[in-house]
Amino acid sequence: MVTKTYEEINKRIRDGDAVVVTAEEFVDIVRKRGAEKAAKEVDVVTTGTFGAMCSSGAFLNFGHADPPIKLGGGEIYLNDVPAYAGLAAVDTYIGATAISTTKGIEYGGGHVIEDLVRGKEIALKGTGYGTDCYPRREIETTLTIKDLNQAILVSPRNVYQRYVAATNSKNETIYTYMGTLLPDYGNVNFSGAGVLSPLHKDSNYETIGIGTRIFIGGAQGYIIGPGTQHAPTKAMGTAMVLGDLKKMDPKYVRGCTIHRYGTSLYLGIGIPIPLINDRVTKTAALGEDQIKTNLVDYGVARRDRPILREVTYEELRSGAIEINGKEVPTSPLSSFKVAREIAAKLKKLIEKGEFLLNRPAELLPRGTVFKPLKQVTEVPITKEIMTKPVITGLPYEPISRAAKIFAERNFDHLPIADKNGKLLGIVTSWDVAIATGTKKKKLSEIMTKKVIVANEDEPVDVVARRLLQHGISGLPVTNTKGEVVGIVTTEDISKLVGRRKK
Amino acid sequence: MTAKLLLRYSPEALDRPILARVIRQTDAEINILHATLDAVKGEILIGVEAPPAEIEKLIHLLKKNGIDAKKLERAVELDEDSCLDCGACLSLCPTGALHAKKDYSVGLDEDKCILCEVCIPACPVRAIKITKF
Repeated sequence: MVTKTYEEINKRIRDGDAVVVTAEEFVDIVRKRGAEKAAKEVDVVTTGTFGAMCSSGAFLNFGHADPPIKLGGGEIYLNDVPAYAGLAAVDTYIGATAISTTKGIEYGGGHVIEDLVRGKEIALKGTGYGTDCYPRREIETTLTIKDLNQAILVSPRNVYQRYVAATNSKNETIYTYMGTLLPDYGNVNFSGAGVLSPLHKDSNYETIGIGTRIFIGGAQGYIIGPGTQHAPTKAMGTAMVLGDLKKMDPKYVRGCTIHRYGTSLYLGIGIPIPLINDRVTKTAALGEDQIKTNLVDYGVARRDRPILREVTYEELRSGAIEINGKEVPTSPLSSFKVAREIAAKLKKLIEKGEFLLNRPAELLPRGTVFKPLKQVTEVPITKEIMTKPVITGLPYEPISRAAKIFAERNFDHLPIADKNGKLLGIVTSWDVAIATGTKKKKLSEIMTKKVIVANEDEPVDVVARRLLQHGISGLPVTNTKGEVVGIVTTEDISKLVGRRKK
Repeated sequence: MTAKLLLRYSPEALDRPILARVIRQTDAEINILHATLDAVKGEILIGVEAPPAEIEKLIHLLKKNGIDAKKLERAVELDEDSCLDCGACLSLCPTGALHAKKDYSVGLDEDKCILCEVCIPACPVRAIKITKF
């Protein structure tokens, strides 16, 4: 067994003798020369990642105005993006996903952080409620990062160990935090740096914990604890990190907009992994063919989305994977090119003796579990509120049948199904109205064939959003076999509002 | 050089094999990039690989046959300074115009672009632009 201490490694770094390689290079070395030889030769393996990290943000201190104002308890806007005003008089926290009151998701907290790092002027608008010691009620000024006393990036959750790969089974495009997902498994988006993923390269967290010195946004910073949602047992570890925004490079700190989703911050982070024992050597040597994640169907808007299969980062990185016998193109959402650059940069810094390693005061925990939200009320399921049994029409029946049903029952929708109850289309009272005076006779001639449906097991919230998006007032409910089992209308949903508040 | 021509068909022109006839009268090699046809109008976007004179001849012949043919003076542009090389656009591009280079940076092959614009809003830093001139 090859073991090394932090002191030995740091001495070699100071003497300029340390052997440092990137995680990508290390995989090759181990495959060519064997783990033991590699562990003897190499001291430190560097990693890197550059992806959108929504739980990012920065603490800023403005200094006092004259007469002074207490922004804590008031309101704070930076370039029209709301910042947290629940701290002392002139402290704030700007989070990456806060969005502009004037530009919406085109500009958000992530962009404010980037603009600060770029040295651009930021407009501060704030209000306070006025006290004897802080009499002022309003402030409007412009600031650059140089005018701030502190600008410290503190993110509750960065560097996810890995990420799921996302695809979409629905027959329409959806816009998610995993990017734009085309209909019918049209594409796959994935995230995470794979072979360079910092937490995956020491997945037992034997060298990563509170006090680990890291490369963050181009500066040196620290891990200050396990991140929120840290889920080590699922290989979904996270870290809470800190770094000085004033020393960062805008190349590695970029505000972004995820289409029809929101704003975020692309952040570059690299963690050095000292090869202190054989277990660390083994995890550091994992290749992209050995690092796996789940391919998940985001077409199902539930917390527990269906997993289609396991995929390796090697497959995902190849540009296409196979789903149901079809080649589907893949997109990374985090930049492998910049991740490589960060790992190489960190390697250089260590080689030059400009970056020493810290033994963590406490390692990241290995057994914590990420629990779902405790909910005191259950979300109703479509089959609980839908109208059933449902009257359906057969495609060859005359239009007059629909007209009769609409008139007698005060309905507006008639699902058309075959003899076995399988949904074929839908006819509305409007379709009947505009068919009058035409030569059309059968329901099949006037029905809409591309029907928007709800599944009986879907939560009502999901169905309500679908009605709203398509601007329709009702949709047929089907079971997994595609048979019509009911109908749900905006009326059924509005009845719920009263029920839920009780 | 590849030029992109947008052909607008009127309803009367829809049922005649105009494009096939015109192609036989020129030496231009054309590639249909995108086509939409319905009851009232039709639009075909074609890429033409030919010298400028030949392209002008093609436009002239199409117009003579009642098709509103127009050379598209639009270009798609990737701002490499702003691009994160994240790759979010890659799986959305229907023609592979946006592609991953060997070093995993994002490349744009303008000739392959059919100006569908799906990538424009999907880019997290708005690095892809359609310029009209």
